[in-house]
Amino acid sequence: MKKEDTVKLISAEGMEFVIDKEAAMVSQTIRNMLTSPGGFAEAEHGEVTFPEISAVILEKICQYFYWSLQYSRGKETEFHIEPELTLELMMAANYLHT
Amino acid sequence: MPVLRSREIPPVPPKPPKARVKVDPPATPTQGREQPATRLSSPHSLTPSPKTAGSVSGSAPSSLRRSLRLSSKGSSNAGDQVGLPEVEKCIGSLNGDVSKKRKLSVDVDGGFESGGSRVLSLRSGEKVTKRSPLGDGDVNGGGGGDEVVESNTKGKSIAESEYIEKSESNNENRKRRFSSEEKGKGKLVVETDLESKDETLVNGSVPDVEVPAEEVKSPDEKPSKRSNRGTNGGRMERFRDTARRNASRFAYFNTQEEEKEEEDNNNLSMEVEREIPSVEEQIEEKVAEDWPGPFSTAMKIIRDRAANLNVRQGSSSSGQVPSVKIKWVPQKGKGKDGSKRLPPSLLDLSLRVLVDNADAIASLDHVPDALRHKLCQMLCDSRRMDSNLLDLLLSGSPTEIRLKECSWLTEDQFIECFEKCDTSNLTVLQLDYCGQSLADYNIPSTLARSPISLPALTTLSLTGAYRLSDAGLSVLVSSAPALRSVNLSQCSFLTHGAIEILASSLASVLLELFVDDCQSIDAMLMLPSLKRLEHLEVLSVAGLESVTDKFIKEFIFARGDGIKELNLSGCGKLTDSSLKIIAEICSILRALDIGNVPKLTDNSFGHLASGCRSLESLKLCRNAFSDDAIAAFLEMSGEVLKELALNNVGKVGHNTALSLARRSRNLVSLDLSWCRNLTDEAMGLIVDSCLSLRVLKLFGCTQITDVFLCGHSNAKVEIIGLKLSPLLEHMKSPVESPLHRTRQRVCHEKKHVLRQTDRRHSFVSYNLPVKVYRESTSNVPKKGMEIFITDVFTTDQKNEPQWPRLCLMLHATALSSSVPRALLNSRRY
Repeated sequence: MKKEDTVKLISAEGMEFVIDKEAAMVSQTIRNMLTSPGGFAEAEHGEVTFPEISAVILEKICQYFYWSLQYSRGKETEFHIEPELTLELMMAANYLHT
Repeated sequence: MPVLRSREIPPVPPKPPKARVKVDPPATPTQGREQPATRLSSPHSLTPSPKTAGSVSGSAPSSLRRSLRLSSKGSSNAGDQVGLPEVEKCIGSLNGDVSKKRKLSVDVDGGFESGGSRVLSLRSGEKVTKRSPLGDGDVNGGGGGDEVVESNTKGKSIAESEYIEKSESNNENRKRRFSSEEKGKGKLVVETDLESKDETLVNGSVPDVEVPAEEVKSPDEKPSKRSNRGTNGGRMERFRDTARRNASRFAYFNTQEEEKEEEDNNNLSMEVEREIPSVEEQIEEKVAEDWPGPFSTAMKIIRDRAANLNVRQGSSSSGQVPSVKIKWVPQKGKGKDGSKRLPPSLLDLSLRVLVDNADAIASLDHVPDALRHKLCQMLCDSRRMDSNLLDLLLSGSPTEIRLKECSWLTEDQFIECFEKCDTSNLTVLQLDYCGQSLADYNIPSTLARSPISLPALTTLSLTGAYRLSDAGLSVLVSSAPALRSVNLSQCSFLTHGAIEILASSLASVLLELFVDDCQSIDAMLMLPSLKRLEHLEVLSVAGLESVTDKFIKEFIFARGDGIKELNLSGCGKLTDSSLKIIAEICSILRALDIGNVPKLTDNSFGHLASGCRSLESLKLCRNAFSDDAIAAFLEMSGEVLKELALNNVGKVGHNTALSLARRSRNLVSLDLSWCRNLTDEAMGLIVDSCLSLRVLKLFGCTQITDVFLCGHSNAKVEIIGLKLSPLLEHMKSPVESPLHRTRQRVCHEKKHVLRQTDRRHSFVSYNLPVKVYRESTSNVPKKGMEIFITDVFTTDQKNEPQWPRLCLMLHATALSSSVPRALLNSRRY
């Protein structure tokens, strides 16, 4: 993965997740951050911080991104979510508009 | 020419038309040919020919008209230009040498002249009547014939519809000029006026019907504008051909048509003096139908469209209404793209899991209101809501509580939950179907603990509170002084006293009032209180039988100018006069529901089209409107429309489809359930043209096949009702108001929905293990609403359905109104 194609998502604890830009664009919020012409710091450095989202949730979100790309390419599988994560995942998903 | 004009010609009694009819065609072309030429040559020779008292003019114009019509038929283009000038000549040149050439047919027959080019005044020009060479002798008879002819040709539009639209303004100009000239003339009826009137008149105009001349004793008006002038030689052939083509259609005698014609003529005479208000509009006609100009124009276009088709097909009079052809070709190979589905969003996925494991939710703190509502919605839909969750929702100081369905809530639970609830920040309280829990005596201890217990409450919905009486409501309302929206549907105990209570304390703040199905409320008795509500914007009186025209009239006169949404569905006593008043006064009306009001006729559409220009949502159900009326309405107001329901409006057909396709750019939701006259092609055209369309309901449309389903190219539209598919998310509350939110359920996969509910609930009886989902979540199923039984099966250990899935649609007409209430307010179905 080249540097230009990736984005770094940083969780509340500081854990960093490096994923493809294409995957990150599944989230409308991240897409706006990275593509809007406002000159956001996130767009410049390719890093987005989420102080309210924990690492576990952020990891699950990244998994969802890749699953979503896979789904739209035709491979339709099921995305399993552990029940204990759901509430926070729901709120994070709402924030990320994904 | 002047020679003839000065002659006084005694009226000639009309002769039997039939014989004429057949012979006429050949003659007409000649005459017609002459006319255009003369007209063109001397457009200014229009001279009033009143002396003939219209009689002479009658014949001349008629033959001229007729020929014009024929000519237009033959060559629409030619006719077009000739239009006005011809007319003018007609008027002026009664004297016409032309008349000499014409055979004076008995007046009746003489009538046609087609405004040929005029789109709207197109007449198939059939009525080719022979005229005697005198021409002048036409007199009244001729004039009458004109009228007859005009009426006849009303439905027949020779030109294509495009043509029609093009030349419409052209025609208008001509007509206007015509009428002003005609004004001074005595008997000379402005033929154009007549013609236009004819066209606008709603006449069953079966294209091939021909009115015999005798019947039409047209009054003086017979405008015989068209005078036969010299015609261009070149047109003769065309006229001849046209005449030949249409001759057969006129060999038809229809008494009904005659009577209609007569009536029309009488109506026409009233309109003589009317001026055309605008270029685009036809002469304002206060005909019996009282249709304003633009609408009648639109109706004419629709009819002409159909008639034109008929003409081209050259069908003989069969009495059938021709169906407009719709050209739509399904896309091939669409299947590949179409199958590409969007992945479900993470939000939806997590909500589903959450609903599945709702009992494990420990806290709903920090969850934003929007998510809470979505969660509640899904929980209520799947019947997983219980008092624990309600406690979670009520913990802290909630701002909004929206429970679309509280029938599971017992009285004790209700008291327990709400006793300790801090309601000081509550802005929205929705406890629908709370009949089991809410009663007069427990309000003071729960919701209205103090006179200031609900200070911020703006929206209150207590539907189905059948134990709530006027006194209880009074206690509640006294604690909530800031209420802006009150929904008391199906509170059967409430009387007009409840409305008085609302009016006395909330007169200046109340914006929305819903009293659907409150059977004890008499509409006329609540009228004074309603009038006191100064800012009322939304009123729903659906299902109240006591709502009459008088009620509507008085209420609208008082408060109609501020009304934005009106729900009158099921008010069976309303007639067109109510719609007329609504259209005239409610200028900012945005949403209107007139479903199940059987007495409304096409006139209502005429009123609506002219009056309510900002109508965004229109709901019809089981109304008796015709295809043409709806199509014409769409032509005029379709641009603004966002939501349209034509549920079970059986006459909807291709005209409506065409109008939808052409005009409805902003349409988001369309309900064409039970419209069996729409074919795959029509549906395809609609869906491919309405690019904003997202929801299309097609319940009961068994005529739709995969040709449409797989062939349409609109990827964003969701079609529900044809196959088993989750539909709860599309059930909206009947009245959508700005303070209400549309209920959206996120259940995409039906197996999830059904199996989840199945797991936890036992069935009502073992004879019929079904789950019943209401079509509308906030309203008791009324007559005519379908109730879906979406699944019939039992489950074994593994939660596998043992019976095959069965989907039944029951018409709720079989259900009395009391049954659903009982059903809904009990825990089990």
